[in-house]
Amino acid sequence: MLLVEADGKALLRQYGISVPEGQVVRDAAWTAPAAARVVKAQVTVGGRGKAGGVALCRDATETQAALARILGSSIKGHAVHACLVEAPATGRECYLSILLDAGAGAVRVTFIAEGGVEVESHTLDASTSRLCAPDEASINAALAALTDDAAVREVGTKLATLFLREELMLAEINPLFVGPAGAVAGDAKLVLDGNALHRQPGQEALLRGNATLYPDALRKLDEGFDYVELDPKGSIGLITTGAGLSMMLVDELTARGARPINFLDIRTGQLRGSPARLIRVLEWLSEHPSLRVLFVNIFAGITDQREFAKLLAEALAAQPCGGVPVVARLVGNGSEEARAWLAEARPDIAIFEDLEPSIARVAEHAL
Amino acid sequence: MNALAEFSARTRVLVQGASGRMGRRHTQLMRDYGTHIVAGTSLREAGGNIDGIPLFADCAAAVHATGASASICMVPPLETRAAVEEAVAAGINLVVTIAEGVPVHDALHLRRLTQQHNVTWIGASTPGIALPGQAKLGFLPNVALAPGPVALLTKSGTLSYEVGYRLVQLGLGQSLWLGVGGDAVKGTRFAELLPLMAQHGPTEAVVLIGEVGGTEEEEFAAALAARPIGKPVLCLLAGREAKEGVAMGHAGALTYGGAGTLASKTTALEAAGAEVFASTAALVARCAGLFGKRA
Repeated sequence: MLLVEADGKALLRQYGISVPEGQVVRDAAWTAPAAARVVKAQVTVGGRGKAGGVALCRDATETQAALARILGSSIKGHAVHACLVEAPATGRECYLSILLDAGAGAVRVTFIAEGGVEVESHTLDASTSRLCAPDEASINAALAALTDDAAVREVGTKLATLFLREELMLAEINPLFVGPAGAVAGDAKLVLDGNALHRQPGQEALLRGNATLYPDALRKLDEGFDYVELDPKGSIGLITTGAGLSMMLVDELTARGARPINFLDIRTGQLRGSPARLIRVLEWLSEHPSLRVLFVNIFAGITDQREFAKLLAEALAAQPCGGVPVVARLVGNGSEEARAWLAEARPDIAIFEDLEPSIARVAEHAL
Repeated sequence: MNALAEFSARTRVLVQGASGRMGRRHTQLMRDYGTHIVAGTSLREAGGNIDGIPLFADCAAAVHATGASASICMVPPLETRAAVEEAVAAGINLVVTIAEGVPVHDALHLRRLTQQHNVTWIGASTPGIALPGQAKLGFLPNVALAPGPVALLTKSGTLSYEVGYRLVQLGLGQSLWLGVGGDAVKGTRFAELLPLMAQHGPTEAVVLIGEVGGTEEEEFAAALAARPIGKPVLCLLAGREAKEGVAMGHAGALTYGGAGTLASKTTALEAAGAEVFASTAALVARCAGLFGKRA
């Protein structure tokens, strides 16, 4: 997952890479210094500048106006809880990144000596970008082939250590300001591997220190399954398993004008006879006043649907979400008996074997 | 891909981590389906057996005693790297790993290792592969499996179950079902399966189930455009509404900065002559139509 810039810079600093002096501000009433500052929204999404999340401010009045405008706004659907307020850096604007190139099965090192922010307009070739093996010596050799600048190579060496030790998917500094005093990271785009968090305790601490910014990642770490809030004002609560099928359902419901609150991959194979995980999800969904229908869709390859149906009934009894209608589509292992059992236990639930009519029913409730 | 082309009900299969909760259950389910399981590994129960399948302390001993050439690896995500290294060292030439959540740097290491040793690796996280009616490695559900003319190549488990199940209900089974998995770095990518698809006799059409994130669909499209396979390719792509910057259940289903979007994938696939569908129903109907079945 993408770290917000301030957390990315904390990691850069930890590995000895210089960053501008700055601080994280959460309150628009903060007293701004008289000198010029850059105000940047701290959200886990790229393209902030174009979305109005970055402001270059000449004095305290402008800084405070920028904070008032950006804090509490929304950037590409991500609420802005915090801004990084920094002293502007100076120097030649370069681009430096180390990427885990999944397609190539290698590490890609890229350095562009000028151009900075508009890196997308560059065509990468052997003079700006090299593939190499995932070890420090290879990354350093790749960078040495791209630049002679000692300050850049020093930052690159530190960034390589960080990239490998922290098991990153991407470590990007854009712009990297290069001047007489050395190189300073103007921005930090660090993408963590959520699957490595269990053996990266420092990263876990970083995420917990800024918990409001990483609700989805921390939820996964704590609960062991994926629940992503898509639209807090949506009307459909999804009780689904499997990432691909759940994503497809979100797409198909949205295409009909119905808005799911969440994406969910609950992993029915891990319930192990307890409704606790289902109850957790129902509790989160019940906090949305806009919830109008619960949509259960479980394709059980291996899981026994009879067991799942019982857990579902228990969970709904414990947390009925205000009694909103429930549409349940159960198919696969043991589903015929499961549907018959559920129909008797909960005659109010609309039960389906096939997906299409169940989607249509959910859309009727949601729209 | 030779090991994949040669996989059959005669392939001698080793189960790594056979005595765990998952391992024990799926060893039995795979054998019941027809998979020729000749050995398991288990640190705790080496020397014992599961329903007559002998358990060994490590891959080398298992391969030496039984001649196993393929492995299905049922170990937790943080143990997957060591398990595949062990299988490669023992001379296994087809490894399938099912664990969800293998760290991406581990996967990168394994990708390079298996390529160096000419080992076919399916994973990191996959529901498995199947030759319907013959054998399977992994936990693809029997209810969705049937022999037929459609090759199903997929990132997602559940979405492929849904598609496979609905096609089977219409009388259309699969020539091969292969889950490449939802990881960013993986053993076998869609594009690498194209040569096999071109020469695979039983395959008359390819259904590719992709999703947002990464560039695998774009790579597949480029390879298809460069070397058409002479068979229809139908694609279903999930994740149009995925939230940027958050992995949607699959580690690879992560978009940032406009890369890996469905629009980019759709454009590339259509330009390569594939058909792309935005709903399961539309894909199923088109596939049924190709073979004269009524959806």
